[in-house]
Amino acid sequence: MNRQSRREHLLRVRDFVLTYGFILVMVMIFLLFSVTTNNFFTLKNIMAILHTAAPLMMLASGLALVIMTAKLDISVGTIMFLSCGTGIVLIVRHGMPILLGLVVTVIIGILLGMLNGFIVVILRVNPLIATMGTLIALRGIGLLVTDSRVIDLPEVLRRMGNARVGPVFIDILVALAILLIVHIVHTRTRFGRHVMALGNGVDIAERLGVRVGRVTFVTFVLSGFFASIAGIFSTFQVGAVTPTLGFGAEFSAIALIVIGGISLFGGEGTIIPGLILGALTLTIIESGLNFMGASPYAYPFVRGAIIFIAMYADSLKVFVRPQVHVTGED
Amino acid sequence: MPEPFLRMIGIQKSFPGVLALNKVDLEAYAGEALALVGANGAGKSTLMNVLGGVVKEDAGEIFIGGQRVDIRNPLDAARHGIAFVHQEMALMPTMSIADNLYLTTFPTKNGLIDYKTTEARCAEALSRLGYKLSPRARIRDLSAGDRQIVEITRALLSDAQIIIFDEPTSSLTSREKERLFQTIDSLKKSGVTVIYITHFLDEIFNVCERAMVLRNGEVAGHGFLKHLTYDDIVEMMIGSRKTGSYVRHEISAGAEVVFKVDGLQRKGVLRDIRFALHKGEIVGLWGLLGSGRTELARAIMGLDPIDSGKLMVKTNGTLQPVQPHEMKRWAGIITEDRRLDGLLLPLSVRFNMSLANLPRLIGRIWPFIDQNREMRLTQKLVEQLGIVIASQEQPVATLSGGNQQKVVVARWLQKEPIIYIMDEPTRGLDVGAKADIHAIIGELASSGAAILVVMSDIDEIMKISHRYLVMRRGTIVAEMSAQATKNDLMAAAAGLG
Repeated sequence: MNRQSRREHLLRVRDFVLTYGFILVMVMIFLLFSVTTNNFFTLKNIMAILHTAAPLMMLASGLALVIMTAKLDISVGTIMFLSCGTGIVLIVRHGMPILLGLVVTVIIGILLGMLNGFIVVILRVNPLIATMGTLIALRGIGLLVTDSRVIDLPEVLRRMGNARVGPVFIDILVALAILLIVHIVHTRTRFGRHVMALGNGVDIAERLGVRVGRVTFVTFVLSGFFASIAGIFSTFQVGAVTPTLGFGAEFSAIALIVIGGISLFGGEGTIIPGLILGALTLTIIESGLNFMGASPYAYPFVRGAIIFIAMYADSLKVFVRPQVHVTGED
Repeated sequence: MPEPFLRMIGIQKSFPGVLALNKVDLEAYAGEALALVGANGAGKSTLMNVLGGVVKEDAGEIFIGGQRVDIRNPLDAARHGIAFVHQEMALMPTMSIADNLYLTTFPTKNGLIDYKTTEARCAEALSRLGYKLSPRARIRDLSAGDRQIVEITRALLSDAQIIIFDEPTSSLTSREKERLFQTIDSLKKSGVTVIYITHFLDEIFNVCERAMVLRNGEVAGHGFLKHLTYDDIVEMMIGSRKTGSYVRHEISAGAEVVFKVDGLQRKGVLRDIRFALHKGEIVGLWGLLGSGRTELARAIMGLDPIDSGKLMVKTNGTLQPVQPHEMKRWAGIITEDRRLDGLLLPLSVRFNMSLANLPRLIGRIWPFIDQNREMRLTQKLVEQLGIVIASQEQPVATLSGGNQQKVVVARWLQKEPIIYIMDEPTRGLDVGAKADIHAIIGELASSGAAILVVMSDIDEIMKISHRYLVMRRGTIVAEMSAQATKNDLMAAAAGLG
């Protein structure tokens, strides 16, 4: 028994290293920046890092569920834009009460998620192609709704962007709350387990009685829902809806999801600590570059390199995973 | 005799071009194991797929416990207490045992999964079969045998009354096999109806009470195993077709050397391998498991790197050195893994056959393929090798293992290699298909090819070889003529000689 539990322990260590290899990288980077620059390892800077990461974490928590089913939703950045654009236009130009406008924003996010779900589940379009279609088309509608102009938020909402409880920004708290809820949904509900089952193979899941279509549909709806929330907080930070809101956000989100150990092949990964670590790694690297005074043009390059390495590590995992014999005898 | 628990009456099913099942009757009793035997393509899988709701029968009736049932899909089958323990298991590798067992039936508390209860129940279910596995262990970390245990446990949890084992031992160690047989025994004692499908006939005498043999979609015979012998069953399986009729052809004395291996080394795996192959001979490479026979075959096929040594092939009248990765140009390579051999399973027979040979099929207008020529050539090869297909357009995946192997051979035939290297070319094939492949190997050799063949079944290798190379610990320890006996071979392989 003792031997077995030790072996299990080793297995977990191996899984951990394979899954979170990036943490080691992150710790090293963190130390590097702490040593080479002043003021990096300060409460203020850490809060700033988390503040930047907050909308991305919200976005990723919905998208992560889609990716765990081995599907992809690349329209989330556009959903951020269209849902917020519409909501803010209603508030600013048509005098809709602020709270109602925000509720409408979220409802639009849900509806757009349902649209993706419909195309993928009912029309059986490949999810990458389906969401690429909505990615392009919905941004067009968004630009129409906002006249391709920057729309400033009302003063009340703009203040929300930098509101804090003590030293902690509100959006950090919201992001952590969302992560916690999604984590519980993922690990402790049948729906969450069925998401993982889908990632292990649609055929198997179906044979075991998982309602494949319904689970897939719900993951897309949740992805749209969290995209609209991420959009709201991202808008608060900027203080306006700009025509580029959410542009490319899907790829940042996918990067942090993969860095956080969630496999694009599905069925693998955790929300906590996975997503949090992924978000921290990504933002620490960028904020470190900022501290070092790197050229802004270096950012996309570094981000691209990180995404590439993360994906490579992900596909590598499939090959290096050794078969370990945990016997059930004696 | 009591009423049979499961009765399938007059089951009929046809696929395009093939009558897969023709009025098949099956009866199975509670508390017994029924062996379902038949050659590849005899209809075993189709019959079980009908029972499992994967395919719908064209005609026929199914009764379970005296009740007429209508099974439309796998979930229906599960509801009627039918469970499969598959060769390719329906488990989720990244999830825990508990997740796999309770995926749709998690006990919950306040809407959340109650893992404490789940794991306790899971451990209890496993221990009921006598196993101690951690409910949290992930499937991908388990051995094939332990995975199977999880499948069996799941079947029991779903209250299965009929459990179908489909080739359950093909990837198990001998200890795991023993354990499985004990488990099946205890299943029988608790009143479960077991249906056991296998190619390994010796197993069924251990495990089962009765056997039913299918041939070409019809019942070829059935009866109590205590009244049947191994030979009876083989005869039912292959019908009038005779086995053991293989005749080794004579090789002309002093045949030229067409392939030579000199001082081949691979650190820690192979050392100082030297041998030669002559025109028209079949050389059996024999050794116990782990002796390096497969490694040697892989090395000369260019699949594994070598550290030193020379391979030489007869080209234009003289022996020329070649690199291992170039061997594919001179040698036909056939292995047990049909996908490794480059069969594109979803594509058609014709496509697979002509793929390696496209330059020769180009018609008058370059670069277009002359379809008529392609079809004629395919037809010729199909007839030559006796491949059973409905049409040239049939996907290779739908062929039986023996016929798939013949497609691989057909592809090589078009290139007319002077050497063939075959690693377990008959593994997983039934008796009849094995005999077919043996005959084809014999024909290839008598038409002048030199053949090196690895087989783990000593009787099989002795049937076809003209000469043996015996391996032990990564090197060739003996060379023997066709007159060698089984004992000679075993002694040399085990290091007693």
